This record gives sequence, C-alpha cells and structure tokens, in this order.
Amino acid sequence: MDVLRLATLYPELPRERTRLLDNLGRVRREVGPITMELSDALADHMNIRRGEVHEVVSFYSFLQVPTDAVRVCTGPVCDCLGARDLLESTPGAIEVACLGHCDLAPAMTRGDEIVPSVTHSTNDGPAVDLGSGDDTLADYAARGGLALLHELPTLERIVEELKASELTGYGGAGFPTGLKWEAVSREPGPRFVVVNADEGEPGTIKDRYVMELRPHLLVEPTVLAMRMLDASEGYIYLREEYATARARLQEALNEFRAAGLLDGLALELVVGAGAYIAGEETAMLESMEGRRAMPRLKPPFPSQVGYLGRPTLIQNVETLAHIPAILRNGGEWWAGLGTRGASGTRLWSVTGAVAKPGCYEAPNGITTRELVEEHAGGFTDEVGAVVPGGAASGILPPSALDAPLMRDGLQEFGAGPGSAAVQVFPTSYSPLRLLSETMRFFAEESCQKCTPCRIGNRALHHLSEELQRGEAVMTREKVDEWLLAMEKTSICGLGQASPFPVRGAMQHWPELFEPLEHV
Amino acid sequence: MVAFTLDGRPVSAPEGELLVHAAARHGTFIPTLCHDDKLDPYGGCRMCVVDVEGAPRPLPACATRVAEGMVVSTNGPITEFQRTLTEMLLSEHLNASPGGRPNELIDLANELGADAPLMLPDAKRAEYDDRNKLMGYDPDACILCARCVRYTQEVMQCSALSLEGRGGHARIVPTWELSWLDTECELCGGCLSVCPTGAIYEKFEEGTSRPERQLEQVRTTCTFCGVGCQIDLNLDPQTKHIVKVTSKDEYLPNEGNLCVKGRFAFNFVHHPDRLEEPLVRGDDGELHPTTWEHALETAATGLQKVIAEHGSQAVGFLSSARLTNEENYLIQKLARTGVGTNSVHSCEST
Ligand SMILES: Cc1cc2nc3c(=O)[nH]c(=O)nc-3n(C[C@H](O)[C@H](O)[C@H](O)COP(=O)(O)O)c2cc1C
Ligand code: SF4
Repeated sequence: MDVLRLATLYPELPRERTRLLDNLGRVRREVGPITMELSDALADHMNIRRGEVHEVVSFYSFLQVPTDAVRVCTGPVCDCLGARDLLESTPGAIEVACLGHCDLAPAMTRGDEIVPSVTHSTNDGPAVDLGSGDDTLADYAARGGLALLHELPTLERIVEELKASELTGYGGAGFPTGLKWEAVSREPGPRFVVVNADEGEPGTIKDRYVMELRPHLLVEPTVLAMRMLDASEGYIYLREEYATARARLQEALNEFRAAGLLDGLALELVVGAGAYIAGEETAMLESMEGRRAMPRLKPPFPSQVGYLGRPTLIQNVETLAHIPAILRNGGEWWAGLGTRGASGTRLWSVTGAVAKPGCYEAPNGITTRELVEEHAGGFTDEVGAVVPGGAASGILPPSALDAPLMRDGLQEFGAGPGSAAVQVFPTSYSPLRLLSETMRFFAEESCQKCTPCRIGNRALHHLSEELQRGEAVMTREKVDEWLLAMEKTSICGLGQASPFPVRGAMQHWPELFEPLEHV
Repeated sequence: MVAFTLDGRPVSAPEGELLVHAAARHGTFIPTLCHDDKLDPYGGCRMCVVDVEGAPRPLPACATRVAEGMVVSTNGPITEFQRTLTEMLLSEHLNASPGGRPNELIDLANELGADAPLMLPDAKRAEYDDRNKLMGYDPDACILCARCVRYTQEVMQCSALSLEGRGGHARIVPTWELSWLDTECELCGGCLSVCPTGAIYEKFEEGTSRPERQLEQVRTTCTFCGVGCQIDLNLDPQTKHIVKVTSKDEYLPNEGNLCVKGRFAFNFVHHPDRLEEPLVRGDDGELHPTTWEHALETAATGLQKVIAEHGSQAVGFLSSARLTNEENYLIQKLARTGVGTNSVHSCEST
C-alpha cells in the first residue's frame, strides 16, 4: 500500500543523488517511516543501488521512526534534570541523544511540537542582538538590516574587516573567518556556500535562537557570501528537530525571494534526519550528496574540495550572524567588544542548574560565574561540575568558575571554549555519571568509520559506567594509551576531541578513578 | 618522479603514488586492514598511520599520496598506535576463525604482541544465518573495514551488502538483512576474498577441517569459460582433493576476481558421477567403456553416415562455453572445412 502511495509521489521526487535525503524526508512525512519496501522503491526510482539507500536510511536516527513519534532527550542536562523519569512516565516515547532544547530540560518532542512549549530567555547585545526578534523582513530592514545587500561591499573590504575583527568560527573548530572567505574566493569557481545549522553539540542552543528570533540575520550574510563568491547555489543544512526554526527560515527565504533579493540565486534548506556527526563539515557534505554522513579524510579541506568536489564556504549560523554588525561598525569595533584580551561577543548557551537557562550575547573572555550571575539569574544549586562548551570541550571543576571561557583561560583545566554551551551541574549529579552520559553520546553518535572512535568511545563509556560501581575494566596505563590513539589517529573532531572530557574528569576528580590503579 | 624522505632515507616515487605502495617498493612494510588495491582509498582502520612532517597529526599511508619533499617516518613511537588499534579491534573480535580463512588481525596481534585489555559488553552482534549453500558470515569476526561492501559497490557494481547503522550498532549485513539469494548478489564470493579476517567464508559440503593456510595451492586456468581466469586450486595435503578455489590480485586477466562457477563449482572434479573414460552405446542400448580411438571412430562414422544420407547441411556443431578461443576456432574449422557446414554455435553466445 505504502509503495503505491509512494508511486503517486514519483513525479515530484527528483532523481539526482543529491536529493536522496530530501526525498527520504518527504516520503517519511507524506507516506510513513521508511521501510525496506519504500527504500527499495525510492532506490529504483532514483536509479541508486538498493543497498546504498539501505545504508543511508539506517545511518540516521529518524528515517525509520514515524514523524509524530514522541522523543525524549537524554542529553546530559536533560538527564540531570529528570529525563529518565520522563522517559519512563511517557509510554511509547523513544530516547534520543539530544534535541537541542536544553534550556527547557528535560525536553521532549511530540512530532514537530516541543514540550514544554518554546520560550526564549535572552538579552540585547551589541552584535547579534537577540533581545527583540524580527517578525518580518520589514522589521529586520527597519533595524538597519539589508544594508549589505542594497550596497554590496567589496570582497576585499569584507575580508579586511573580518580579519580585523578576529572573528573565528563559532561552530566549534574556531577557524579564522576572514581567512576562510579569502581562501574560498581564491579557488576557481563554481563555488558553493553551505550554512551549518545542524547544531547538535549537547547543550548548544544558540543557532536555534538566532534562527527562531532573527532568521533574516542569518539569510542576509548568507546571500552576501553567495554574491561575493559567485556561488549561485547555497544550502542551509538544518537539523530535523528544529521545526520552529525550519518554519521561520522558510518564511524568511520566501520574503527574501519575494523582495527580489535572491534573484539569480538558489538558496535552499536541507533538512537532516538525526545524526550529530552530520554537523562535522565534511560529513555534512557527504550527507548532502546522498550518502551516509561519514566524514571525509582531510586534507583536502572543503574550501578547496567541498560540495560536489567544488570549493565550498561552510560557516556556522552564529558566525554568519555576527557579520552584518562587523561590516556595519567595522572589525575593530567588534574586536573591542571582548574582554580580558579576547575579541568580540558570542552567544552563550547557558543551561543546567541556573535560574534562567537561555542564550545570552556576552563578551568573549567572560567567566562562568559572570555569565551565570549577570545573565542567567544565578546558580540554583551548589555547583559540582561545569561543561564549558559542549560535550567535547572538557569538564571543569567548581574551582574553574572564575576562569575566562577562552582557549588560554581553559587550557590549564584541560578544556576549551568549544561551542560556548555552558552547562552547569549540581553537586548531586556525579561527575562520573556526567562522563558516562557524555561518552555514551559519543559512542552512539560515532559514524563508526574509524577504529579509535568507534571502539574507544564505547570502551570509555563502559569504563565510566563500571567506575560508578567502583569497578575498573582497564588499567590507567591502557586508558592513557587509548585516549592518545583516539586523539591522534581518529579521522575527525569527534574521535579527536572525545578524550577531553575523560582526561578532564581524571584531572579534576582523581579519586573517582582510583580503582584504575588497582587492576 | 618526486623525491621524498622515508625513515631518514632519500627515496623517490611517481608523483601521486599512495604512500603505502611507495614505501613497500622501498622495502618498508606498513600494515593495513581496510586497504585493498582494487578499491578507492578509505583510511578507516587507521592501522597504517605514519608521521608526516608538518601535518598536525599522523596520516594514513593508504590514502596519502607522496609529494615532493615529504618527510615520512613509519617507525618510532608511531608504531605504538598500531598496537593500540589492534587491541581495540580485538576487544570486539569474538570469533577469530569462523571458516578457516586467514585472519590478518590475528597475524598483526601476534606480531605486535597485542591482546584485548577488555571485551566490550556490546561486542556481540546479532547472528546471521544465510540459506545459501556457498557463503557463510559470522558478524562476530567482522572488523567493519567495509572492504566487502565497498567491493560490491565499486567492483561488482551490485547491491548485495550494506554497512548498516552507526556507532556501536553498526554492522555489515546482506542488504536489508535478506538472504544473499534475495539480493542482487550473484554469489561471486568477491566479498569473501577481500575480507581480511575471514568473517565471510566458504561453506563446504565436502571440505576439509584444515585452515586455508595448511592447504596446497596449485595454479591453473579456470575451465568454465574462455576468459581464462587464473585460479589456485587449494588441495587438502592428505587427500589431494580440491577443497577450495582462490585467486590473487596479481593474476591476469581477472585480478583476483572470480564468478560463482570459478570460485565455487569445483566439486565436479571429484564427483562420483564424473565420466572418467569414453563410453559408446552398444547394440544393447547401454553405454560401455571403450578407448578414445574407438570412440572417435564411432562418432566420425556416425557423422559420415548422416552426411552421406542427408548432406552436410544436416550437420551442425554446438561447442561448449568451457572451450578456449583456440578450441572454438578448431571447432569451426572442422565444421566449415571438414564437414562443409556453416551451422556452428557456441553456448557462450547466449
Ligand atoms: C563531531 C562534530 C560535530 C560538529 N557539529 C557542528 C554543528 O552542529 N554546527 C556547526 O556549526 N559546526 C559543527 N562542527 C564544526 C564544523 O565541522 C565546522 O568546523 C564549522 O561548521 C565551520 O563553521 P565556522 O567556521 O563558522 O565555525 C562539528 C564538528 C565536529 C567534529
Ligand atoms: S572520528 Fe568517529 S565520527 Fe569521526 S570519522 Fe572516525 S568514527 Fe567517524
């Protein structure tokens, strides 16, 4: 039956391999969860080998799940705030690694609807300024938006201002944005622009805030990048769980199109299907090309060999959202917004044991205590541990509350600023539980391609589970060797960075790892 | 040619050659598990990582190409990673020898003195039992190098195997867990031949209990068709019976690839029903053993009788696909000049 319903859709399902993920998402929404029969029929329609479509369908978490399924988030913040109880008391609910709504923890979705309903807790800021949102393109223009598109700056000026601002990528890797634009512009065309809106790092909600509150602020610099780089095609790769952001972006794109601002350009949304690793830039390209989201070997980097083998600018949502302010007021102005020697502001996702969890624009170089006390309404509990920038950024002890949340400030604590997702855990939540939940996340989200990540993360999850019972499954020496192999030989940032939280926990709570010494 | 430094020695290689190959030509063996010359570079198992000066982290030799001035070291602390990665693979390797095929992971482990420091609690994968009679698969011996899957996609261009799921749930299965018989699989056994651990193996009805490495190999040409694939007959050293057919990448024209017949259909050799001497039907209607001279004589007489009574157009020749080109040439020669008929056909053409 389902296959017959699918057949009626055939005329509307394009056959290019790059449309596979789109088509699968559409079939899931309009026909039902992807079964073998649907997968095979779509494969035949698109002239792709059935096994390859099977591989793709099974890679993502949601393609085989009904669209109206109830999903409960068990990311670390949700876990800490009662996700397990929620899961038990919600019959039929499925457990998912992260829903990107940690400010509402414990979060749950019923189809596209978020439970509890979405509220935003944010502030006015000098650059992204989320305090008051824009309902329409006219609202955005009334605040000085669209100036860039009405009077296009030169590429040289953009690169110069971006360099002066010292803006670095806010997706987590921290690559200087000015250098990236310059590098892509020097490669021969055709070029592509891809916006990374897959926000999957547990604790991170900032890109969602931008897209839900100020979607036009993302679209304008994206269109600017496309015009500057002569990229006639651009894509915004959005995670499936962000239904509100999807609707808002779609509306904003329609408004831009209606205003003639997209003339000659194709800027489209690509909706993911539930895979953290698809946020890694090369995995994202694979996903967009209709394959399993498994990272590519680097070099070459996407700025040289990206989407469909062409030079591609890949930029995080928040990174782009800072660019209009930088170009309006100058790079130096933006750089001056930072504190303690750091440049600029960024959007901090502050969640966990704080009074007002939310997303706040504040200077780079700020400390956890300042952030929580000045913006998030203060701590609600005695602080046991802090994760400063998403799961892979490390784990900090309470003694680090006054450390500036920047590379230099966090180094001595074996951590990094990552995606600026500051998650505060109370003393009642054991650091080993936190570690264990973190490693479970990495183990489940590993694309599995490389040995150290596929096996190392599972072993470390097992290790931390057993340590909670005072048991050791490996010697300390072996743990160190395995961590080093993961860091050095993994293909992508997932396996390379997942040792951070383990090392951090061992550094700050050595007593919890005592059993390793007696194996 | 480009000049580069390998473990302190100045060496050269054609530009763009894979490091693993260039190093091998200069006598430096770099272990690999997921690499296969027939497939695109993959770089998944990480066993072959080497230090390259200027690179922020070690690079896989199976997927890195030599470049002018590159400074590569394959020995030193980098080899520690090989041991650690081997330990990791062993910690989910529950069955090292399901079907007697060689296991390169165990070879490496023995060479490096690597043991599994723990067994992962989720190492056990769902069992897979296929109703086909030729190939077996034990997921517990699989190291997810995906050589088999990539072989089906890149070499055979068919949909037989899939790399399913991700994280700890990832596993390799016949597409949608169907039987191989219900996928596009032609049972060529290519996936089996590229598997480094023997997770996919030959199922035998009348086989041997000996592992592959104890068998004697005799190289020959496959007799099934005119392509002339080169094969190794693997004999049980005691019974001298053929128990398996393998091939090698360096064999031409087939580069180690075989079809289902070449790889699996060898049991006719020792089959009790096999004809071992010529037979001629006597006046009693039964077949009787005889000499080749008498048998050929009888056939020739029969043909001549037909030609005499009905003319040469009454005779046609049907040759076997199992003949070589040269033999087929001789058949048409016999038909055209010996008998005088153009009715010649070979079953290969259908
Ligand atoms: C495992 C992994 C997950 C990632 N997830 C995201 C993500 O969800 N969003 C994002 O913008 N960048 C993510 N990144 C970083 C991207 O690979 C890339 O660096 C970034 O999109 C570049 O944009 P930027 O320079 O503006 O930060 C991830 C990286 C890794 C290794
Ligand atoms: S590090 Fe992990 S996620 Fe990245 S390629 Fe390797 S297995 Fe995949």
